Amino acid sequence: MILTPKIVVRLLLVGLFGVLLQLTFFSQVALFHVSPDILPSLVVCFGLLGGTMTGAVSGFAIGFLLDCLLIQPLGGASLVLIAVGYAAGTFRERFEIHSRLVAPLMCAVLTLAAELGFGAVEAMFGIHASVSVLVVRDMLIKSVFAFFLGWAIYVGMRRLVRPALVDEATVRRTRRPTVLGA
Amino acid sequence: MYRKQVRRRRAILALLIVGSFALLTLTYGQGSNSLQRGVTAVFAPVSSVLDRALKPARDLINWIDETFDARGNNRRLEEELQAARKQAVGAKAALAENAEFRKLLKFDKSGAIPEGTEPVTGRVIGLSPTVWFSDVMIDVGSGEGVAVGNPVVNGDGLIGMVTAVTGSTSQVTLISDHSSHVTVRVVPAGVQGVVTPTVGEPDRLSLEFLNSTKKIHKGESVVTAGWHSEGFESRFPPNIPVGEVVQASILEQVAQERSVVRPYADLRNLDTVQVLTGGGH
Repeated sequence: MILTPKIVVRLLLVGLFGVLLQLTFFSQVALFHVSPDILPSLVVCFGLLGGTMTGAVSGFAIGFLLDCLLIQPLGGASLVLIAVGYAAGTFRERFEIHSRLVAPLMCAVLTLAAELGFGAVEAMFGIHASVSVLVVRDMLIKSVFAFFLGWAIYVGMRRLVRPALVDEATVRRTRRPTVLGA
Repeated sequence: MYRKQVRRRRAILALLIVGSFALLTLTYGQGSNSLQRGVTAVFAPVSSVLDRALKPARDLINWIDETFDARGNNRRLEEELQAARKQAVGAKAALAENAEFRKLLKFDKSGAIPEGTEPVTGRVIGLSPTVWFSDVMIDVGSGEGVAVGNPVVNGDGLIGMVTAVTGSTSQVTLISDHSSHVTVRVVPAGVQGVVTPTVGEPDRLSLEFLNSTKKIHKGESVVTAGWHSEGFESRFPPNIPVGEVVQASILEQVAQERSVVRPYADLRNLDTVQVLTGGGH
């Protein structure tokens, strides 16, 4: 991704809107008693479109904003989302993404990893209660939601940052010119 | 050139990770800081507007979820149970328009809210997205007199306690959060105990008894104990309804009674709440 000032502003707005939408909408709706978590998917999309650095920096920024708005200890969510963004970016830099299923699958897998990561951060400071096995069910359902929501987020973000995408630019350059009268 | 780029990337990544750990170390257990207060002051109005704008869509999705959930339930029995429970805690359901506010008003007049406390009504504007934290953000803060440690209720009963405050928002840690412990009393048995949560199951609280000489039974109400002892006192005032005993068993190995309590408040679906300010708690 070629990061021009215009694209950076777009990415910032997407991140900001994503966090606000998560807190005011997705966290407050429940299907099968589980609320979707779009933030790991959002960071995965940043990583898949922009690479490791875009993924890691966006993970840090989104986690930081989330912790600020929830008045939680700063850094916990950032730490987890940096790892998510970096992992997605590494995938993008090492493998060609041919299938349309890659992005939603990455969103699902890394959302599950993020939930485990949030649990690990919390365990680092001590969990003072018994943990139900239903937590596992909730995490799995969240990753199923992430599959579908990640799909939509990836398509939307790809459209939004299309001018900055290197592969899109290559496709445009290699397109045959229209020859009048041929 | 390539190596330089790789080194720079690694340096940025290390900086972000070290920065996260540093922030975590510096801010853990310290409540809100000036940065968070500033950020929430900027975004609280936006969150509030978004929250109201998205309410119809949220209600639609939650209705679908509740419809799935309601299958197989005996609706009549559910209503009877609810009515009996409300009578037991001295309140009557107000099922007209604006049900949330009517419930809060009823709760206020039932005597459950202790004298000397001033209820401040707020709306939930944000929830923690992970399964590990049970925190909600509400749109009232120190500007409205809310302080850290204030109990928070809704029309059904206790939901949690204020754990961080900014000028216009507050963080409420729910009774389903793993850090929550509430001293309670079972009525009419009078047995005292501590309610602790089970992570991942917000509608299931564990009640462990401090003394097990008296028996308790399914269906009995659990209210806050509100004890006082030599300069110490419970964070929660007495007699706030917490939940209902749904399962009671004696653990023979330790000769201790442990029960399961279902909270009266639906902790997954919170909208309007009241913070009990003042009162020395």
